[in-house]
Amino acid sequence: MSKWQILIIKEIKHLFRDTKTIVQTVVVPTFITPVLIGAIFWYISSIAQEETVKTYEIGFSGQTENQIYDDIEDSERFTIELISSLEDLKTSVQNDLTDIGIYLEEDLDVESSLESSGKINVFYKDLDTFSQAKDVLLNIIDDYESKIVSERLVQLNIDESVLNPINLEEEDLTTDEEFAGTFIGALIAFLFIAYVLQGSMYPAIEMGAGEKERGTMETLISTNISSVEIIIGKMFSITLSAVITAVFSTLGFIIPLIIVFLYFGDSIPETFFNIVAAIVNPLAILGIFTMLVPLSIFMGALMLAVSVYSKNPKEAGLLLGNLMIFFFAPAYLPLINPGLEIDFIGALIPCFSLALHTNALISGNLDIFLFGVTLGSTVVYSLISIYVTYIMFDDERVIFRT
Amino acid sequence: MIKVENLYKTFKTTSEEKSLFGKKKIDFHAVKNLNFEVEEGQVLSLLGPNGCGKTTTLRMIAGMLEPAKGTAFIDGMDVRIHKQEIKSLIGYMTNNTSLYDRLTVLETVKFFAELNQIKTSEYQERASNLFKQLDMEKYLDKKISDLSTGMKQKTSIVRTLIHDPKIVILDEPTTGVDVTGQSIIMDLIKHIKDQNKTIIFSTHQLGEVKDIADKIIVMQSGEKIFDGDKDMFQKINPKQTFNEIFMDMVNE
Repeated sequence: MSKWQILIIKEIKHLFRDTKTIVQTVVVPTFITPVLIGAIFWYISSIAQEETVKTYEIGFSGQTENQIYDDIEDSERFTIELISSLEDLKTSVQNDLTDIGIYLEEDLDVESSLESSGKINVFYKDLDTFSQAKDVLLNIIDDYESKIVSERLVQLNIDESVLNPINLEEEDLTTDEEFAGTFIGALIAFLFIAYVLQGSMYPAIEMGAGEKERGTMETLISTNISSVEIIIGKMFSITLSAVITAVFSTLGFIIPLIIVFLYFGDSIPETFFNIVAAIVNPLAILGIFTMLVPLSIFMGALMLAVSVYSKNPKEAGLLLGNLMIFFFAPAYLPLINPGLEIDFIGALIPCFSLALHTNALISGNLDIFLFGVTLGSTVVYSLISIYVTYIMFDDERVIFRT
Repeated sequence: MIKVENLYKTFKTTSEEKSLFGKKKIDFHAVKNLNFEVEEGQVLSLLGPNGCGKTTTLRMIAGMLEPAKGTAFIDGMDVRIHKQEIKSLIGYMTNNTSLYDRLTVLETVKFFAELNQIKTSEYQERASNLFKQLDMEKYLDKKISDLSTGMKQKTSIVRTLIHDPKIVILDEPTTGVDVTGQSIIMDLIKHIKDQNKTIIFSTHQLGEVKDIADKIIVMQSGEKIFDGDKDMFQKINPKQTFNEIFMDMVNE
């Protein structure tokens, strides 16, 4: 066995005998995260579900002798609180005393003549994304307006088609796979990056700054193992830990989904089934892992370089925390801009390219050339960061910097 | 044989003086013009107060630090050029119990034996002898984190000697070890000496020096202030103990 292999075995043995490593690489991604994500989804969907039957409190001001008032009163979705003035109505909505407010001007009359028109004010706070109060109220107003328009057209003896010269038929051709790729792919990539970083950060600190602080680094370099062998041994151990974390996080996602399919498959809507099937696609997972391994080596080598440079684990933690922003930020962009598409420049940006290729892999429209560009560039970045780590290990000012 | 020639080592350190961009960096001369020789089978004791350059000297001899000027030759090989070859000839023990906490004693020793590419049979026999000699047999399956300082120090010694090095460098080997432990370690050093190995050890314990050193070098502020054998050291003041002579020497 070569020295770097001996070192890997030692590092892995030493690393995985630490409870913290087991928790971070296995327990959290396999059990805790899926539970947390499940809990978040459950909470969000329960709020959304609740909103579909919720009765909103509506502040009403102005003319009550009106069809709109009657319609609101008849609606099961509203309870009316009458408010005397327009200003009080605004204040009521502003201070969250009512969910929404409507003001009908006192002389509002759109029914008496064909030319009459009037103004209605609706007040709301557009912060609660789940609230249906505005939609329900606007529907009532729209229905009322449509009714008036229809009546006027009848009085004028005009066919309704005069107002609708174009019969617009819209059809959304987005496939379930594309939907999954665009909206869930970036999230999956982001989570993978988070897990890889989580899986490599602690080992990097432990094997660099930690060893320096404990003095074992000095013991190690006093033996006839070369700097290159030390770097290879340590870097592969860090990468292995990162990949193990990624594997367990994948299992953490897939196993619950498989269980759901096996036991509740019949009750799952087809669209949802297709979306999940697109995500749990062996080819997509293989493609993601093909990108993830060189990316882990790149991250691991860079983290090891920073960790070895650090005086102690505390400093390493601080510096690595800052370094993480450079990995997270590019991965975050596709998350907030779901429509982003990868180009040549994008393919060269680590993490950003992973997120967009993950989208493409799930959607089933991967650009092989750009995928190759990303793989090739990540390998180049990895080699550069390995070289930086080598410089660090070969510099006595860094190794003995305590 | 070890030959140290005009050895210098300089580090950058932070001064108290402030410049526009923070504290100034100045040169700190850790070792200055050090010359000495150690013959094969000799035991050299390196003495001196903290910060006098003992550890830096040992690290340069072991090929872990690059000399700023001058060099050291180990069996005729220049430490600046033949680092790896020299490292395989040396067993180096640092001045703390630097071991992997979550490995057992046996795993630790095996790891260093494998790193030195020792055959399993050879390693097992040598390890078994050393464990017996150091009275460690009951602790072999214990994790390093569960050991006392003394037992950790003994494990460090075993891992240092496991590849049967020609030269043994021990940086304060008895620091933090109780009296019994110190005695065991000193017996082991004598035993290594009997095997005609060259030993360099730094220490604060003058009693140890008197017992086993063939040659003494005293350093202060990076410079050599004494180089001679035990008799020469005693002759400085025959009425004084080694400790008293040393104290006078470094306080002058």
